[in-house]
Parts: sequence; structure tokens; C-alpha cells
Amino acid sequence: MRRKLETIVSDTKELRSFLKRMIVETLKLEDITAEDIDGDTPLFREGLGLDSIDALELVVAVEKHFDVIIEDENVGKEAFASVNVLAGFIQTEYKGFSKNGMRFAG
Amino acid sequence: MQWIETEEVVRFNEVDEWGMAWYGNYMAWFEAGRMALLERFDLMPGQMVALGFIAPVIKLTCDYKKPAACGDHIVIRTTVVKPEIAALNFIFEIVLKTDRSLLARGETTQVLLTTDKKMIYRLSGELAGRVNKLVDYCCQA
Repeated sequence: MRRKLETIVSDTKELRSFLKRMIVETLKLEDITAEDIDGDTPLFREGLGLDSIDALELVVAVEKHFDVIIEDENVGKEAFASVNVLAGFIQTEYKGFSKNGMRFAG
Repeated sequence: MQWIETEEVVRFNEVDEWGMAWYGNYMAWFEAGRMALLERFDLMPGQMVALGFIAPVIKLTCDYKKPAACGDHIVIRTTVVKPEIAALNFIFEIVLKTDRSLLARGETTQVLLTTDKKMIYRLSGELAGRVNKLVDYCCQA
């Protein structure tokens, strides 16, 4: 499972697709599919039209899937700029890529 | 689930032309219930501000089941449910004191902001401690 997660995070294209599906599933979006989401479209307001409560739910989903913490709105505003930005944020913050690989030991 | 109960009497100025409690008053009764619960856990609005936070309501629902009349003794039952996100979800039931029949059931969602209006995504420190005590109390079997 961990190995699979590492594969997803390291593959930018796969990670972006995963995040699109995660957004649609987490927020139970009905009028939009993962394939409809453009990677550069802003997630909030004029873009996908998500609101601050959606952000709270996405924070929980990101933490659950990637163990990456988005502390508050200041960080969230940057991280949730778009799917592509979020993917980059997760790749930077993902702790699974520790140099000594201890996290994946065993 | 543990509920806190608060009593009120429906006043003359709270009923409409049809002799029923005006629908907006239920929000004030919910608020009385909320205060009674928050007071127990040192989470009153002023105490929250002292910790650096405010908790505005961003969602409210209310189902009206049966009208209250002037002079009715009502009981406001209040609890919170365990939140999946960094928010406070209150549930309210207003019942008639005499036969415990349900008059209304409502819910509110409050998000947590710092006093300079930044939304917080995770609870920490003293705020987390107090909120967890509140949630643990309400969610006990």
C-alpha cells in the first residue's frame, strides 16, 4: 500500500489524476467528473467554485491519503490554487520520500 | 449521545398572528442551548476570543414539527456530533416540557477562524483541548 502511494506521488501525471478523482469523490460533485477538471483551473470561486467548507473537507482527504498537513487558510490558499499546484505541494511535503527510507522499512 | 437541557417559556411577544411561536425565535432558543453547553466547557464567545478564535455559524437548518404556543414550557436539548472536519456541528431539539413531544429539530455548523479572520483547518493547543472535551462529553454512550 505504502509502495503504491509512493508510486502515485512520484508520478506527477498519476498524482494529478488521483487528486481530480479525490476532489470529485470527497466533495461528492455531481455536475463535474474528474476528467472535466483542468489541472490549471483555480479550485475556488471563479474556477471550480469550491468554498471554504470544501477546503476543510479536502484538507482531511489530503491528510488521510498522503499524511500531508495543511495547517490553515494561509497555506490552503497556496496549496489549493489548482490541481497541478496541489500535486506539487504534496510532492514537496510528502514525508514518505525520506532519504534513509525508514518510513518504508519492512 | 449526551444532551444538555435548557428551559424557556414562550412569551407573548414571541408568537405570531396565528398564535404560534414565530419561526425565527427558534434560532434564539437554539442559541440559549448552545450557550448552556459552551459554558460548561469554557468555550463561551469571549473565552474563545481570549484564545484568539471566533466561530461563526455558516450553516443552519431547522425542521418545524409542531407549533409552540404562548405560555408553553419548552425544553431545548443541545448536543454536538463528532466533526470530520475542523468545525463545530450542533444539534438541537426543542420539545414540549409536558409530554416531551418534538416541536423542532435543528442543526448548525460553525467554522473556526482566528480573530484576524483566517480559517483554521486543524485544531491545536488549548482550543483543541476544550473542544475535544466538549465532543467527548456529548458523544459518550
